[in-house]
Amino acid sequence: MIPTDGVEEVTMIRSKQIKKPQNVLVVDDQELNRYILGMILEDDYEVLYAENGEEALKIIRQNPDSLSVILLDLMMPVMDGFTVLDILRNDEQLKSIPVIVLTAEKSAELKALQMGAADFITKPFDMHEVILARVSRIIELSEGRQLISAAEHDRLTMLYSRNFFFEYANRIHQYHPELHMDAIVMNIEQFHSINALNGREFGDNVLRILGNEIRAFLAETDGIASRIEADRFDIFCIHQDDYQELLDRFQNKVNEFSRKANIRLRMGVKPWREGVEPILLFDQARAACSLVRGNYLTHLMIYDEDMQMREILNQRLLNDLGRAIEERQFKVFYQPKYNIQCDPPKLSSAEALIRWRHPELGMISPGDFIPLFESNGQISVVDNYVWEEAARQIAEWREKYGVTIPVSVNLSRVDMFDPDLEDRINALVEKNKLDRKSLKLEVTESAYTDNGEKLIEVIDHLRKAGFEIEMDDFGSGYSSLNMLSAMPIDVLKMDMKFVRNIEHNEKDFRLVKLILDIARYLKVPVVAEGVETETQMELLQNAGCDLVQGYYFSRPVPPEDFEKFIDVRNKK
Amino acid sequence: MTLQELYTLIGGNYAHAQQIMRMDKMIDKYIRKLKNSGVEIQLAEAGEAMDAQKLFESAHAMKGVCANLGLDDLADRAETITEEFRPGNSRKLSDEEVKEKLAEISSMFQKTLAGIEQYENG
Repeated sequence: MIPTDGVEEVTMIRSKQIKKPQNVLVVDDQELNRYILGMILEDDYEVLYAENGEEALKIIRQNPDSLSVILLDLMMPVMDGFTVLDILRNDEQLKSIPVIVLTAEKSAELKALQMGAADFITKPFDMHEVILARVSRIIELSEGRQLISAAEHDRLTMLYSRNFFFEYANRIHQYHPELHMDAIVMNIEQFHSINALNGREFGDNVLRILGNEIRAFLAETDGIASRIEADRFDIFCIHQDDYQELLDRFQNKVNEFSRKANIRLRMGVKPWREGVEPILLFDQARAACSLVRGNYLTHLMIYDEDMQMREILNQRLLNDLGRAIEERQFKVFYQPKYNIQCDPPKLSSAEALIRWRHPELGMISPGDFIPLFESNGQISVVDNYVWEEAARQIAEWREKYGVTIPVSVNLSRVDMFDPDLEDRINALVEKNKLDRKSLKLEVTESAYTDNGEKLIEVIDHLRKAGFEIEMDDFGSGYSSLNMLSAMPIDVLKMDMKFVRNIEHNEKDFRLVKLILDIARYLKVPVVAEGVETETQMELLQNAGCDLVQGYYFSRPVPPEDFEKFIDVRNKK
Repeated sequence: MTLQELYTLIGGNYAHAQQIMRMDKMIDKYIRKLKNSGVEIQLAEAGEAMDAQKLFESAHAMKGVCANLGLDDLADRAETITEEFRPGNSRKLSDEEVKEKLAEISSMFQKTLAGIEQYENG
């Protein structure tokens, strides 16, 4: 390949094998004419013959996909060429086969072309090269058209393929700005599971049914649609007043097909906005659609200004991440954990929690940026920052107060599957001359559902290296006893939702006691998160909970504020 | 008799026939088939009945066959009848004049067949 002006020249792979066999049907009542044409064509094509229109139609119907071109005489007994043209023109399957008419009459040429003939060859057939050239050109044009048609449409749903769809959407946007076209993105919830459970053919039928209904809908209004990929449908249509009604229409159609499979559609809509290009409209419709993913109550989301602001903010945060790390805009706060099984409760350790003090946007809540960075895979950058800072802080406090206050840090899912994880943490521990047990590692229980086996392997490794693992947010997701017994952990952190109502709700308190019993059975200490009141603290204390964390003792505070807890501890 | 001599005898255009069929072997094969093609009989029958549609169809068939064999004169004359009876065309000749032209075609066709017979007999 030769680079030219910075653009790599692409060499097309050519193979004769991709050329399909070309069959030509010659239809003429005169044997001599059939012979001459056969003689001209047979070196380059497979030639079939028919003496009249009726015989020709029989052959055409037997070979609808393998005929490259039909050479058709117009004046024939039994059935003439015009009748054949008329039948072909009105047959969906056959109308794409190109026809070259054989004629000596000027008037017939025009009529035949008007009836759909691709070209004509004049009699007598004295210009063999011209005939060959015409046949070849028509086949080439027709095959090109068929290729384009195949690329233009998705075979399963007969909707446009992605590239054609956006090309046509752009044309509508550019040349018909008076049309206010909305962008709709529609998906099937857990389509891969539907396929896995019911088979690929079933899944394909669902897609086909949806495609049919979308086409029926577009026939009533105005617009275009595409199956962009797998189960994602994009529809660009004239503004509709009620999208819930439209979603219900598609949902009902799918339900009619199968009630037992429980197929659930979700839809995101970005209404028309002056000057906004289709690609952007669909980006936003897709964002709206993804917001209702997994939501069992709402299946429709219309993209609005708030979402746009949210997207802009997200983009800004992603862009600013690198600079924030460089300029140390992230601040690590510490929330104390108290051992409540001694009197008075004693500072035991801390959890490092990040805050972002943005120079222009002010203090940004972790709830705003952590899920964002998690979804973009950038969270490990932030995690690393926290680990470094926490390790340094442990060493600083040890130096200053002569005691080690263990600090727990979060490990995100991305970190868990990072092959260099252990090396990264070891390097920090060694740099700050820490005991491995002083940098505790918190793993959220939901990581187990992603890849339980791998998680157990990683945790096992880290524990063998001397680190302590705390299971974070226990009970917030799909906890299972199986997971609890399989995961080699050192501390169980009970999610704050259990603690929140223990004062008022006996059932919740019983559940907390049950978790404490299980943990005791597993010989694992429990940290209760979100403890805010004295009553909660006392209930937990009496129930045998080892450690608590929450506003009752302190909210997360900057390291300088945390030091007063160390002071108190040391004085005692 | 050679093919070229045959064409001279019957007033055909040998060069044109060669241009169309490219090989003497093929001209030989198809010129021999002319007598069994039925085109002249169909035209004669249509003329006797003065059936416009049949006259058009049979003259059209004769025109095509003759043109491909390089029998240009016969093809031209058949074309006159074709156009005379083409659906939608207004008639230019009287029935008598048509019959005269058909007689000329028949005579020329017979002369051609006689020449071919001579050619076949060496």
